[in-house]
Amino acid sequence: MKKETRLKVLSTYLALILLVLIMLFPLLWGLSASFRSDQELFEYALPFTIHTLLPVKATLSSYVEVFTEYHFLKPILNTLFVSICTVVLGCIVDSLAAFAFATFDFRFKKVIFAVILVSFMIPFESIALPLYAVVNKLGMVNSFAALIVPCMADGLVLFLFTQFFKELPEGLLEAARVDGASWPVIFVKILLPLSKPVFITAGLMIFINQWNAYLWPLVAARSADVMQIQTAMGVFQQQHSTKWSAMYAASIITALIPLGLFLPFQKYYIQGIANSGIKG
Amino acid sequence: MKSSIKGNKGLPYLLIGPACILILIFKICPILYTLVEGFTYKGSFGLGTYALLFQDPSFYKSLWVTIKMNLVITPLQIVLAVGMALLVNTTVKGIGVFRTILYLPVTISITVATMLWGMMFNANNGIINSILSIFGMAKQGFLTDVNQAIWCIIVIATWIGVGYWMIFLLAGLKNIDEAIYESARIDGAGWFTRLFRITLPMIKNVLLFVLVADTTTNLLLFVPMQLLTEGGPQGSTNVLMYEGYKSAFLYVDRPRSAAIVTVLLLLISLVCIIQFKLFEEKDEKRIKKENKEPRLAAKKRGRIR
Repeated sequence: MKKETRLKVLSTYLALILLVLIMLFPLLWGLSASFRSDQELFEYALPFTIHTLLPVKATLSSYVEVFTEYHFLKPILNTLFVSICTVVLGCIVDSLAAFAFATFDFRFKKVIFAVILVSFMIPFESIALPLYAVVNKLGMVNSFAALIVPCMADGLVLFLFTQFFKELPEGLLEAARVDGASWPVIFVKILLPLSKPVFITAGLMIFINQWNAYLWPLVAARSADVMQIQTAMGVFQQQHSTKWSAMYAASIITALIPLGLFLPFQKYYIQGIANSGIKG
Repeated sequence: MKSSIKGNKGLPYLLIGPACILILIFKICPILYTLVEGFTYKGSFGLGTYALLFQDPSFYKSLWVTIKMNLVITPLQIVLAVGMALLVNTTVKGIGVFRTILYLPVTISITVATMLWGMMFNANNGIINSILSIFGMAKQGFLTDVNQAIWCIIVIATWIGVGYWMIFLLAGLKNIDEAIYESARIDGAGWFTRLFRITLPMIKNVLLFVLVADTTTNLLLFVPMQLLTEGGPQGSTNVLMYEGYKSAFLYVDRPRSAAIVTVLLLLISLVCIIQFKLFEEKDEKRIKKENKEPRLAAKKRGRIR
C-alpha cells in the first residue's frame, strides 16, 4: 500500500472512531449509570475520576425499582399492544389500498393518490392538537382506539407498498387472472408471499413510530389504563426528576425494544427510509 | 406490474376506501378544523383571535426564538449529516459496523434522548460538567442558563437527527457512478472541487428533500422544551410549537392554539417554497452559464465523463 493511502485510511478510522464515540456516549453512559445508585452518581460527579464514568458497585436495584415502585410494566404492555395492533391493521389497510393504486385503473386515481401524498407531507405533530378535537367528538379520548385508529393509514407506508407492487414483474397477475383466480386469491396467494421485504419494512416503521410516539399519546391517552411508555417516561421525569438511576434504567429499557427490533432488520428499515427519500 | 388490468368496477374503490376514509377523518379534517377554529372568536366567525395574537408580545418573542433556533439547527444538521455520509461512504474494513452504530440514535425516541441528555446537561451533577472539569472549566449552567439552554436543545435534536438524515444522503451518494470520480481524479480535481462540482450537484434532489423534511421537523420540535425547560429560562426556549401546546392544554385557549399552528404551517410552507425556488434558480443559472460558455461547459462535461 502506498504511504499516502495508508495515511488516508488511518485518518478515516480516526474520524470514524471519534464520531462513533460521540454518538454512542449518551447510550453507554446511560447504561453505566443505570447500574448505579443515585448516591453514587451524585457523589462521584466531581472531581472527575474513573468512577465518574464506571460503577463502584454495580447494582440492578434501579431496574427492579422501575417495575415494582414505578409500575412501568403496564405502560410497556400497553404500548406493545397498541404498536402491534397498528402494525397489523396498518399493513392491511395500506397494502390493500396500495394494491389498488398499483394494479387498477380507476377514475380520480391520480388525484386521490396525490391528495394522500400531500396530506402526509404535513407532519403529525402539527395536527396533533386539532386532531384531539376530532377524536374527542368521536368519543375516543383515553382509549386504545384513539392511539391506533388515527395512525393506521400512513401515507409513507402506502407509498412504499405502491412502489413495491409496481415493481413486481408484469404479467404475473395477468397470468393468474387468465387462469381464473379471483382477486382475493391473487392477493393472498401470489402477492403476499412475494412481498415479505416490504411488509417487514412497513411493519418496522409503523412499530418504531408508535413505540416512540410522545405528543399524541400525551394529548389523547392520559389515563393510567391506556398510558403509553413515552408518556410514562415524561410523567416520571416531571415527578421524580431527582431519581436519576431509575430514570436511566427506564430510558435504557425504553430504548432497548426498538433497538432489539432494528438490529436484525436494519437492512429493511434503512432501505425503506432511503427509498422514501429518493423516490419521493 | 402494469396498471391497466381491469377488475370489477367497484373493487378498486372498495380497496382504497378504508385508507381514504381514515385519511379524510384523521388527517384532512384536523387541518380544516385548525383553519376554521383560528377564525373563531367568542363563538362566531371573526379575525379576533389573530388580532389578539398579533398584538401579543409573547407571540413575537416566541416566533423570534423559533426562527433563531431554526437558522442554526437546520444548516448545522445538514452539514453534519453530509459530512457523516461522506465519511461513511468510504470502503474501509468494518465500515458496516460503524454505519450501524451511527444509525442507532435513529431508533431512539426523542423522549429518551431528552431524558438522557437532560441529566447529562444537569448543572450540578451532570456528566458534561464533570468532563469539562478535566479541562479546568468551571461549572456551566446549561439548561438553566438563558444563553445556553437553546444550544443544549440544539445538541439533543442534532444527536437524534443527523443519523436519520444521513441515511437519505448515503443512499444518494451510493447512486453516483464511481467512474465519474475516477476521471475527475485523473484530471487532478482536488477534494473540494470534487465535492462541490460533482458530489453535491449529483445528490441535489436528495439534499433538497432532506432540507425540506429537516426544516419541517425542527420547526415542530417541542419535546425537549416541554420536558426540560418549559420554555424557559426567561422564554429563551419558548418555541411556537410549545406555545401552541401550552395555549391548548394549559391556558385552555383552543382558538389561540389553532391560530399558532396555522402560523406554523404557513411558516413551514414558506420556508419550503423558498428552498425549492433557491434550488431551481441555481439549476437555471448553471444551465444559462453553460449556454453562455458552451465550449467551457462542453470541456467540463467531457472531463467529467
